[in-house]
Amino acid sequence: MSSLSFADQLDQSIGILMAQPNAAHGHADAGLSELLGIAAELRLFPRPQFKQRLKADLLRQALLVSEAAPARVNTRVLEVAPRPKPAQPQPDILPTLFGVGYGSYPVRRSNFVTSLAAHAAVIALMLGSSLWLTGRHPKVGHQFVTELTIPSLYSPPAYQQNHGGGGGGDRDKLSASKGELPLLAREQMTPPTVIVRDSKPELAIAPTVVAPPMTMPQAPQMGDPLAAISGPPSNGAGSASGIGDGTGGGIGSGEGAGIGPGSSGGYGGGVYRIGGGVTAPRAIYDPDPEYSDEARKAKYEGTVVLWAVIGADGRPKDIRVSRALGLGLDQKAMEAVRNWRFQPAMKDGRPVAVQLNIEVNFRLY
Amino acid sequence: MKALENEISDERILIEAAQRDPACFTELYENNFDRVYAFLVRRVGSRDEAEDLTAEVFHQALAGIGRFQWRGLPFVAWLLGIAGNLLRDRWQRAAKQEVQIEADAEADEIAGADDNTEQRALLFQLVDGLPQDQRLVIIRRFAEQRSLREIAQELQRSEGAVKQLQLRALENLRNRIRSNHE
Repeated sequence: MSSLSFADQLDQSIGILMAQPNAAHGHADAGLSELLGIAAELRLFPRPQFKQRLKADLLRQALLVSEAAPARVNTRVLEVAPRPKPAQPQPDILPTLFGVGYGSYPVRRSNFVTSLAAHAAVIALMLGSSLWLTGRHPKVGHQFVTELTIPSLYSPPAYQQNHGGGGGGDRDKLSASKGELPLLAREQMTPPTVIVRDSKPELAIAPTVVAPPMTMPQAPQMGDPLAAISGPPSNGAGSASGIGDGTGGGIGSGEGAGIGPGSSGGYGGGVYRIGGGVTAPRAIYDPDPEYSDEARKAKYEGTVVLWAVIGADGRPKDIRVSRALGLGLDQKAMEAVRNWRFQPAMKDGRPVAVQLNIEVNFRLY
Repeated sequence: MKALENEISDERILIEAAQRDPACFTELYENNFDRVYAFLVRRVGSRDEAEDLTAEVFHQALAGIGRFQWRGLPFVAWLLGIAGNLLRDRWQRAAKQEVQIEADAEADEIAGADDNTEQRALLFQLVDGLPQDQRLVIIRRFAEQRSLREIAQELQRSEGAVKQLQLRALENLRNRIRSNHE
C-alpha cells in the first residue's frame, strides 16, 4: 500500500516536473528527490526514432561515399597518368636489330622476331616451371554459413537464450543423475528414464527426446549430461516423466520433450539462430588467416569449418572447430577468427548473440 | 586498465574499418551517440536543438572519417571537438543577433566532456539496458512526453500498473548508477 502511494507521489511530482521544468523541485523525502533527479535528466532523453533515423541517414550517406570513391580515384589516375609513348629504337645499342651499318647484307626482320619469340617462350617456360616447383602461392579465403551445426551437446554455449528445450523428472527427492542423452528424434514415443519403473512393458520402444536427429554414441547410463553428480540414479525432481527438474518428458530444466531450458522440444540454452527475425552479423574486420608452414611445405589444401558464437558486442566467442583440416591450419583459422569483429546480429532492434559457421578455405595456387 | 586498452584497440579497429568502408561508421555512431547527444543537450537545453546538432556532428564526422588520424585519444574526443565547433558557430551567430554576451562565458565551457555529460550519457545508456516494459514506459513518458493514461492504453494495463512500472524503472536506473560508481 505504502509502495503504491509512493508511486502516486512520484508520478505527481513527475507531472509537475514535465509541466514546469524550470521550477524548483525540492522534496522532503530523500528517496523521492533522488528519483526525481533522474527523472529530470530523462526529460531530455533522445527520441529513439531520431536515433534510428539518423543512423539510416548516415548509412545512406556512407553508401553514397562508397559508390563515389572509386570513380574519383579513376578520374585522378586518368588525369595524372602520362600518355604512353611509343618505344623509340636505339640504334646505338642494338644496331643489328634495325640493320644499321650492315649495308653489305640485309637483316631479315621476320627471322629475328621469330628467334626472339622462341627465346622468350623458352625463358618463360623455365621461369614458370621453376616457380611451380619451388612453391605454390597460398591463398586463403573464407565465407560465412548461417546453417546451424552443433558440435557437441555436452558443452553448450554459455549465452543463455531460450530456444526450445525440455525437461522432466518423476518428483524424486534427488536431483537427476548424470548420464548420456537418449536417441534424438522428431517425435517422442517413450520419454527417457534413469530408473525404469516398469521392467516388463507390453511394447518396448526406445526412449527418445525431441530434437533434430543426430547420430550419437549410445552409452549404457542414461541421464542429464549437465547434471552435477553421477549417482545415485535418479530421474530428478521434475514432473510428467523424463529426467531433470523440468516437466514434460524431456531432459533438463525446461518444459516439453526436448533438452535443456526453454520449452517445446529442441535444444534449450543456446544462442539465437539467424533467420526468423534475427539478422545475420556482418563482418567489419575479417583479415584472412595465414597459411601454416607445415601445410605450405606439404602443399596441403582444404577447408576448415569453424563454429562460433558472435556475441551481442560483435566479438566471436566459443570458437570451435567443426571440421578440422590439421597441419596447424585449424589453429591458424581460429587465431584469425578470434580477432575478427562483427556488426552484431539484430533482433527487434537490439543486438543479440547468434551462432555462425565460418568456412575458411586454404588453397595453394 | 586492461578493459580500457581493449576498448581503445577495438575502437581503432572500427575506425580503420570505417575508413576502408564508410558503411562501418554506424558502429562508431552507436558507440558514441549517447555521449555526443548528452554533451550537446546539456549546453543547448533543448531536445530539438540537441538532435539537430547531433545529426550535424555525425554527418561531418562521416564526411571527414578518411582524414581522421589515430593519435591514441578516444574517438569521442574528436566528435566532441566537432560538436564544440558547431556550438561556437551557433553562439557566434546568436551573438550577432544581440542575444547575449553570456555566450562567450559558456563557450569556454565547451572545451571537453565533463562529469555531468558522462553521467547523463551513462543514464541514457542504462535506459537501453532496462527490461522491455520499463524501457518502453520511460521512452513514452519522457522522450515522447505521453501521459500515463495514453501509455496505459497502449500497454493495455491499468494506470496503477504503469505507475508501478515507472517507479521500478527509475529505481532500477538509480541502482545501476550506484553500482556503476562503486
